[in-house]
Amino acid sequence: MYNGLSLEQAPPISVVMRFFLTVPIFGILLSIIVFLNPHEVLIPSHPLSLAVIHLMFLGVITMAMIGALFQMQSVLGGRPIPSVSGNAFIIHLFLGIGIVSLAGAFAFSVEPLFIVAAVFLGASILYVANLILPLLFGGATHDTLRGMRLALISLAITAIFGIVMATSYANGSFSASHDALRTSHYSLGLIGWIGTLIIAIAFQVVEMFYVTTPYSLWCKRNVFRLFAVSLFFKILWLFFVLPFVWIFDLVIGALLIGFIVTTAKRLSQRKRRVSDVSIWFWMVGIILLAVSIATYGVFEWNGYAPLPSIALNAFALFALAIILGMMGKIVPFLVWFHLNSAGYMDTPIMSNIIPQSRSKALFALFGITLLFTLSGIFYPLPLQLGALSGGAMFTLLLLNLIKALKLYRHTLVYGTRFEQL
Amino acid sequence: MILLDTRELDHPIPLEMVVDAFKKLSGDEVIHMIHRREPIPLFEIITKNGGRYLSTMERDDLWHIYITRSSTVELEHPHV
Repeated sequence: MYNGLSLEQAPPISVVMRFFLTVPIFGILLSIIVFLNPHEVLIPSHPLSLAVIHLMFLGVITMAMIGALFQMQSVLGGRPIPSVSGNAFIIHLFLGIGIVSLAGAFAFSVEPLFIVAAVFLGASILYVANLILPLLFGGATHDTLRGMRLALISLAITAIFGIVMATSYANGSFSASHDALRTSHYSLGLIGWIGTLIIAIAFQVVEMFYVTTPYSLWCKRNVFRLFAVSLFFKILWLFFVLPFVWIFDLVIGALLIGFIVTTAKRLSQRKRRVSDVSIWFWMVGIILLAVSIATYGVFEWNGYAPLPSIALNAFALFALAIILGMMGKIVPFLVWFHLNSAGYMDTPIMSNIIPQSRSKALFALFGITLLFTLSGIFYPLPLQLGALSGGAMFTLLLLNLIKALKLYRHTLVYGTRFEQL
Repeated sequence: MILLDTRELDHPIPLEMVVDAFKKLSGDEVIHMIHRREPIPLFEIITKNGGRYLSTMERDDLWHIYITRSSTVELEHPHV
C-alpha cells in the first residue's frame, strides 16, 4: 500500500536553516540589551523590557517555530508548500525587518518605527498563515495538524492585535479597550500560538523519538478544541468586561497541567532508557511550564507583583528549552536526510553532526541561564550573569548550526555518490 | 530477505540502520523493515536513489516496509 503522499515533499535545507540561523543572532542581541540595562528590563512596562520580550518571543521563539513549521507542514501535512524557497525567503526577510523595527521602536522610542514594524510583522505573519493554513484543511488530518491549525490561527490574530497596538504606540493614544487588547494579544501569543504548537509537536515527537506509550486518543482529539474554546471565551469576556474571566485561565491551566503530567510520565517510563540531551531539555522545559503556571496562579490569588515576571520568564524559558532540544534533533536530521537523498554514501551519522559533548555544553549553559534569569527577577546582578551565560549559550547554538552546515557543504563537495561507485 | 525489526529503537537509529542497509543492497535483495511508524522521510531517500518500496500498515503502531533496488522483484506483504 502506497500512502499517496508526494515523495518529494521536504523543502530544501536552506528553507529551514535560514530561520534557525537567525535565532541565535536575536538571542545574542537580547542578551546584550539585558546585560547593559539590567535595571530597566526589570521594570515590566519599560520600553527596553518590551523590546527584550519581543526579541525573545518573536526573534527567538517565533523565528524558530516558523522555520520548524515549514519542515513539519511539508512532511506531516502531505501537501508541499508552493514555491517554498521563494516564500521562505520573503517571510524570513519581512519577519527579520519587522522584529528589528519593533525592538528599535521600543528601545529608542522612535514612533514611526512602530508603523514599519506593524507593516513588516503583520505582512510576514499573515502571509505565513495564508500560505500554510489552507494546506492544513481538506487533506490528511491528524492531531498534530489540528494543533498546527489552532497555532497558526492564534498567531494571525495575535499579529492583528499587535498591529492595532503598534498604531496606538505610534500615535501615542490608547483606546479604552487597550488593556483587553493587550491581554488578548499575549494570551493568544503565549497559549494559542506557542503552547499549542509545542503540544502538537509533543504529540508527534515524544512517542516517535523516545519510544513511549502513546498519548490518550481522547486527549489528542479534544485538547485543541478545549484550548480554542477557552481562548475564544476569554477574549470575549475581556472585551465585554465580564466578570469571572479567571475561569478560562483555570481551564487553560488545567489543560497545561494535564499535558505536563502525561508528558513527564511518558518520558520517565520510556521503554529504552537511552541518554539523550533532547530528553533533558523536554524534562526541564515542562518543569519550567509548571513553574510558570504555578506562579501565575498564585499571582491571581495574592497579587504579589514580581510573580507575573517570573511566570513570563519561566514560560519563555520553557519554549526555549523545547526549541533547543528539538533543534538538536532537527538540524542533524536535515543534514543527514538531504545528503542521503542526494545519494551521498559517506553521509555522517546524525550523532556526529552535532556531537554529544557540544549538546551537553548547550544544556549546561541553558541551565545556568535559567537559574540566573529567574533569580534575576529580584536583583540586577544575577540578571546580568544570566545575560552573560545566555549570550554564551546562543553563541554555542550559532556555532553548532554553522558547523553542521559546514559539514553538509563539505560532504556535498568532497563526498562520494551512489552513481560514482 | 534482510529483516530489520526497529520497533523498539529510538529515533534516529531506525532510519540510519535501514539507509545503511539500503546502501549495501545488491541484486534482488529485499529489506523487510518492521517499524512502529510509517517512516515517510525514508521513502524520498529510497526513490531518489533508484530504489522501490512497499509500505503496509498492519496496525496503527505496526508497519512493514519492503525495500529493493531491483526493478523486477515484486514487493508484496504476505497476508496471514
